[in-house]
Amino acid sequence: MSDLVIILAMNGLVWGLIIALIALGLSIIFGLLDIINVAHGDFFMVGTVFAWTVILLTGNFWLAFLIVPLIGMLLGSLVERTVIRPVENSAALSIVATFGLSLILQEAVRATFGATPKRILDPIGITLPILGLDYQVYRLFAAAVAIAAIVAFFLFLHRTKFGTWMRATRQDRDTAIAMGVPSNRIFVVTFGLGTAMAMLGGVVAAPITTVEFRLGLDVLPLCFMAVIIGGLGNLPGTAAAAVLLAFVEGLITSVTEPTTARICSLIFMSAVLLLRPQGIFARSTR
Amino acid sequence: MTAIGVAPAGPAPGSFFGGGATGWGFGGLAIALVLLPLAIPDYQQVFVAEILVWGLFAMSFAMVFGFGGMLSFSQAVFFGMGCYGFNLGTLFFGFNTWGAVASAVVAAALFAVPVGYIATRVRHHHFLIVTVIISVLVTAVLESGHWRWIAGPYVTVSLTFVPEVPLGIAKLSFIHEWVAYYFTVVMVAAAFFVAWRIVHSPFGRAMLAIKDNEMRAQMIGLNVNKLRWMLFVIAAGIAGHAGALYALLARYTNLEFFHWVYSGKAIVMAIIGGVGSLVGPFVGTAFYMLSTEYLSHYFQQFIIVFGFILLLVIRYAPDGIWGVVVRSVREWGRDGQAAKP
Repeated sequence: MSDLVIILAMNGLVWGLIIALIALGLSIIFGLLDIINVAHGDFFMVGTVFAWTVILLTGNFWLAFLIVPLIGMLLGSLVERTVIRPVENSAALSIVATFGLSLILQEAVRATFGATPKRILDPIGITLPILGLDYQVYRLFAAAVAIAAIVAFFLFLHRTKFGTWMRATRQDRDTAIAMGVPSNRIFVVTFGLGTAMAMLGGVVAAPITTVEFRLGLDVLPLCFMAVIIGGLGNLPGTAAAAVLLAFVEGLITSVTEPTTARICSLIFMSAVLLLRPQGIFARSTR
Repeated sequence: MTAIGVAPAGPAPGSFFGGGATGWGFGGLAIALVLLPLAIPDYQQVFVAEILVWGLFAMSFAMVFGFGGMLSFSQAVFFGMGCYGFNLGTLFFGFNTWGAVASAVVAAALFAVPVGYIATRVRHHHFLIVTVIISVLVTAVLESGHWRWIAGPYVTVSLTFVPEVPLGIAKLSFIHEWVAYYFTVVMVAAAFFVAWRIVHSPFGRAMLAIKDNEMRAQMIGLNVNKLRWMLFVIAAGIAGHAGALYALLARYTNLEFFHWVYSGKAIVMAIIGGVGSLVGPFVGTAFYMLSTEYLSHYFQQFIIVFGFILLLVIRYAPDGIWGVVVRSVREWGRDGQAAKP
């Protein structure tokens, strides 16, 4: 019994870190462009599919960690320029546009990759005894990659010129533009970065989940929950909430069944929404 | 959210057959729908009825989004609740068809009361997220083996008998396609009429005011949250009505109707048709279903085309196909008048 608790809690932690990475992408796009990217889960899905494709073409899974985020960066930038930019004046319409994008991504994957779910073999294939249990080393590696990416993201945001520009644009767009911040470039890079994070999350998660064109539909609500509980636009809060949520869900799953755990977290989310719509980590405002 | 589309330029509040182009248009449409079965074979009558049902579903989205500014991804839940209420009415309570349809509307609207209370309390992006999450919650509950007992065995049901419509002393059986067709036409028309009256009532005007500028609406004394909540519940009832009509027509219901992807279908159809009016969603649905029906033979993943059409419509004609038609007709009329000496 206690073995099960440890396993589920660890799995929850790993999965939570991956979700945190994806949700951060969602949150940064929201913070700057002021839209909810409904296609974000599908970018994650495309990431897993690309990981599968890289293995198919080169036989080397590790290459995907390098290539796929770059593709994500390009894809995201392209999407920002062609899909989001023309309708940036209307938040509602941009969100509907991202929904159209989500349809296109899903159906494109279904047309090329196929509708049957596929699995990627554990690329490390070693288990490590932890607390008397055999645990997949790859999952630990996945957690490490997710942590590294999140840390790198925050370093980029706080230590580089571009990151400072991004924070400035988020705080006050007009003033930032007046100060000479190239806001259009910032938007392109932000969307690209957010997409790259979702697709990197896809690569990291690919050997843990199945690869399927509907994968994004399950991941998007998880990101939404993290974003609501952590506070929309609150980046550290989002990351913390994702990890916390998945960890607690893992713990609850060990005593009851998964749906009950999910229902618990959804009810918790509703409570947060009604009582603290700014998220549980926000400092009291005013 | 930012105002999109055009305000419906229908007749003055309260006059449905208000004369003018709108009145003639609806009259002509009614005659066309009544005479249509003479011109097309039986199976196509059912297809037309299906277009009307999905159109009604898309219209319920246009009500919350086009008139209330709420980008709702939970319309599918209410469509599903309509199916569920219909099954409950038919199989559990033993109602006849009228009673079952009524119980579907009641089920959807009742469910929308608490959901709407939570959802309409929040704005913009939070609203969207909440509606997705609600749909996820409902689907999760209905899918899990552990919690399914809440809904009983009435979610995924195929009717084992042919539904009948008791009409006075006569009983019309759905075994005839024309019965299914006319029943659907009448019920959709009734729902459309109700919706039309609602959006052209002072309540509908108030909703448009809220959508345009919430702060200002509040200043002139509108209870914003309550009005949003009311519209949400009404639209849910209409989505439930569409669900019941679908359950009648197809004689089966499915768990996937609750999933927010189905709301996406309504969104695609409504936006392509135009959400600034109640007619637009029907136009969009007809476009969607006709092209899927006749072109998907050539290309399996036809939805991908609709993704692109959606992007193009949003970019170049945010008021949709119907909005473009109305605009060009109006401009044409103005040119005609100007040309007169």
